[in-house]
Order: sequence, then structure tokens, then C-alpha cells
Amino acid sequence: MMVKSYDFDWNVVTSNFPRLLEGLGVTIQITLIVIVLSMILAVPVALMRMSNIDIVRWVAQGYIELFRCTPLLVQLFWVYYALPTLTGITIPGFISAVIALTANLTAFMAEALRSGFQAVPVEQIEAGKMLRLSSWQRVRYIIIPQALRQQLPVILSLNISLFKDTALVSTIAVADLMFTANKIASESYRALEILTTAALMYFVIAFPVSLILSRIERNMMNQGPSGTAGPNLLSRMVPGLKVKAAA
Amino acid sequence: MSQLTNTGSRRRVEPASSTITASHGEILVSARGLQKSFNDRMILKNVDFDMLAGDITVIIGKSGSGKSTLLRALAGLTDPDAGRIVFDGKVVFEDEERTDDWRDVESHVGMVFQTYTLWPHMDVLANLTLAPRKRLGLSAAEAKERAEVALAEVGMSQHLRSRPSQLSGGERQRVAIARALMMRPKLLLCDEITSALDPPVAAEVLEVLRRLKQEEGIAVALVTHDMAFASKAADRVVFFHEGEIAVNATPDEAFNRSTNPELKKFVDAVRF
Ligand SMILES: Nc1ncnc2c1ncn2[C@@H]1O[C@H](COP(=O)(O)OP(=O)(O)OP(=O)(O)O)[C@@H](O)[C@H]1O
Ligand SMILES: [Mg+2]
Repeated sequence: MMVKSYDFDWNVVTSNFPRLLEGLGVTIQITLIVIVLSMILAVPVALMRMSNIDIVRWVAQGYIELFRCTPLLVQLFWVYYALPTLTGITIPGFISAVIALTANLTAFMAEALRSGFQAVPVEQIEAGKMLRLSSWQRVRYIIIPQALRQQLPVILSLNISLFKDTALVSTIAVADLMFTANKIASESYRALEILTTAALMYFVIAFPVSLILSRIERNMMNQGPSGTAGPNLLSRMVPGLKVKAAA
Repeated sequence: MSQLTNTGSRRRVEPASSTITASHGEILVSARGLQKSFNDRMILKNVDFDMLAGDITVIIGKSGSGKSTLLRALAGLTDPDAGRIVFDGKVVFEDEERTDDWRDVESHVGMVFQTYTLWPHMDVLANLTLAPRKRLGLSAAEAKERAEVALAEVGMSQHLRSRPSQLSGGERQRVAIARALMMRPKLLLCDEITSALDPPVAAEVLEVLRRLKQEEGIAVALVTHDMAFASKAADRVVFFHEGEIAVNATPDEAFNRSTNPELKKFVDAVRF
């Protein structure tokens, strides 16, 4: 098999590295803003999703399904191109990106939180009620900390996905890492060097988080669900798993 | 106008035990005509139930007879479909809803559950102090002081900083009792709190209840299958049968002289 010979020019990378870093800065900025907003907004959405009031529950469920079952790119374009038509207000690319990504991540985060909420034994919550904690205090001090802990792997992997998916915002002219890399690549005709560097830059951020994630998953596997001693159901059913995970 | 004269808001900051006036031997709780159905099945049929301040009332009965439902109704976790609950002379439940007086009274009712309900993400101290700090407005130091007293009362002083996962079942239930004590209850509802424990451990936990009654004058309503404890420590034994109170008597009457055939059958079945 023939491999086309190619003269690498890494100078183009060094000379453009500050621009790439600037792009990465925008990417990280969007990621962090979206994560914080989604974590906050997901709490009421998850609670609404579990409401006894049908309408409230349906609204939350409709929202979640809408964002889970349509492509993120469509959501992004819709906020950037279609929403202004509807409202008459033009939204800058950065804001559009934050709105669309937040709406999207909130839907997924709310589902993660909901299953975390539901995993808290009802008697623990009733005990809080008997100690006259208000419903918000029960959510705040009993439910949320345990749900976050239990769902930490899911939340982290959602966050890693979000970080990578921010690359989509380059399509609405937000100067993130992907947009900048693309621009430099077409200016310099050095797509291979530039895009490889961009990929590495994404990787360098995401990989450590991914490592932390696997470590947490391994710990959870060994310890079982928070607070209860002993192996969890999975590691009891698959005895080899625990040994391997501990290695 | 009643808003101004009502001291309700002050009580929420520090429910003084003075709001409960029933002294030992007087009626603390009285329920009349309680009814409750789940899915068209009547679980409580027509329950009249009285408890005296400072008494230990042991509630026995077959599984599904409605014991937990009664405790939950007294606790405010379940609302009956009909009937009336009077607590220390105040109507706290009537016409299918909790009255305003319930808000004054509710913090005097504590409950300990069958399953372990300590919050696993907090240590023992945090489990005990959360509600007093958030609901009674105690400072961290005041709450800690109160926690030390409560833990001493259940013999768990050395476990202030333990995590629930580090405790045995009996220890967890004793801490759960201490947690309920933090709110200074006058009535402690205990729903099969020892049924997951070995008999000697269960006996230790129940002994704590007896001490609380003697030293603090706390009334205890206890659902249990422990007939030894019932005959030894109970002031009253209440036998539930199919959603009704079939027998309400002293332990001696209930266990030795009752002619109720269902109670006899039940006691014989549990004894062995
Ligand atoms: N929230 C609920 N929804 C539907 N059914 C319920 C509910 N709570 C209780 N029940 C039903 O009511 C019946 C009586 O329950 P309850 O828990 O009061 O009985 P119990 O005497 O405490 O029994 P056990 O000794 O098994 O604890 C049971 O058949 C139960 O299935
Ligand atoms: Mg029960």
C-alpha cells in the first residue's frame, strides 16, 4: 500500500498556537458556563419530571424528549437562525450557543438527576419530614447530595460529551477551538497539522476527566452504593469483576 | 388578627416543650373513627385510639392489618379519609385535613422507621444536628451540645463522628432514636425498629425506649413482634385485626386473660 509522502510543517502550528489557545479558551468558557447553568436548571426540571401534577410532569417530559430526540446541530441552528425570525431579536452566536447547549445538556442532566433522586430511599426522605425539614430542605440536604454522588459518573460523561460537542458551535461562527483551527487550516493549507493539534488539545482536556471518571466508577463498583457497606449487586453477580476492578 | 396573637412563628424557632401540657397519665393523643383506604381496600376501618402521656403502647397484629398506617396517620405522613385526631387537647386532624394546630404540634412527634434511615452521606453529628439547626435555629455549637446529650442517652457517645456505614444495625437504630430526640418529642412512633436485628441487639434498642419513657416521660408507640418486650415494658397492648383495634388492654390482660381468639392465635404464632 502506498502512503503519500507529505512534508510536515509544524511551524504553522507554533506560529498559530496562541490563536488556537484563544479558541480553546472560548471552548472552555462555553463548556463551563453551560455546565453550571445546566446543573442548576436540571434540578427544577428533574423535580417537575417527578411531580404528582400531570401537566407539570408532561411539560418537563416533553421538554426532555424534545431535546433528547433531535440533533444538537438542529437545536443550535434553530436557536441561531430560526428563533430570531420568531422573536425578531437577533442573538449573537456565543449567546445562541450557550442557550442551545444549555437547553440540551439540561435535558440529559435532568434525567440523570431524576434517577439519582429516585434512588434515595423514600424512608430517608420521610425521616427528614418527621424532623420537620421543609420540602426544599429535604431536596437540598438529603436528596441532591446523594443523587449527585450516585450519578457522578453519568454527569461527568455528559460533561465530557458537552466539551467535545461544543465544536458544533463553530458552524454558527463562534470563534471556538474548532472554528479557529478550521480557519487557520484553510488559510495555511495545513489542515493535517492544525487539525491534529486541535484534536490533541481537545484530548488533553478530556482525557484526564475521563481517567477520573473511570476511577470513580471503579471505586463505586468496589464500595457499592454510597453509604452501604459491601459490594453492590453487579459485583455480587459477577464475582470476577471486583477482583479485576481492584487490580 | 389571629396572626398577631398567635405565637406560632415564635414556636417555629424554638418549639418550647411548654406547648405540650399533658402530664404523665393524661391523654396525649386521641384518635376517633379513623378510616383509610388504599385502592378501594379499607385498611383502617374505624379506629379509636388513645395514648397517655409517658406511656409505652405496643401495637401488635398480623402483617397488613394496618399498624403502620395508623402510625403514619399519627405522624402526619398519611392523611386518613375520615376521623379526627386530637393531640394534647388540640384538634390536629379533622374533615380530611390537618388543622393549623398541627403545625404547632408536629415537632413534638418523632418517628423511627424499620429500615435504616440515617442519611448515609453525613456523619452521625450531621445527621443529628441538621434539623435542629435548620428548623429550630440552633447554632452549630448548641446543636452539637444537644447531640452529645442525645447520643449519651442512647449509649452512642463515642460515635459522634462515625459514618452510618460504619455502624451496626442496632447502633444505627439507636442513632436514629437519638436523631428523633433532638427535636424533643413528646411522642415517639417506632415502626418495627428492631425487626432487622438479632434478639439481644433488639433488646438493647428497646431498653433505650424504656429508659426514655422513665427518664424523659416520652410516650412511645411501638409496633413490634417482640412479645417479651411487650409483656415486660408496655403500659398498653393494642392488637390490630383487619383494620380494627380488637384488643386494647394491659399486657397482663392481653396476654394472659384475653378471650379474643384472634389475639390468642396471633400470640401463639409469634411466640414460636
Ligand atoms: N401507600 C400505600 N399505597 C397502597 N397500599 C398501601 C399503602 N400503604 C399501605 N398499603 C396497604 O395497606 C395494607 C396495610 O398496611 P400496613 O403497612 O398498615 O400494615 P402493617 O400492619 O403495618 O403490616 P406489616 O406488619 O407488614 O408492616 C397493606 O396491605 C398495604 O399493602
Ligand atoms: Mg408495618
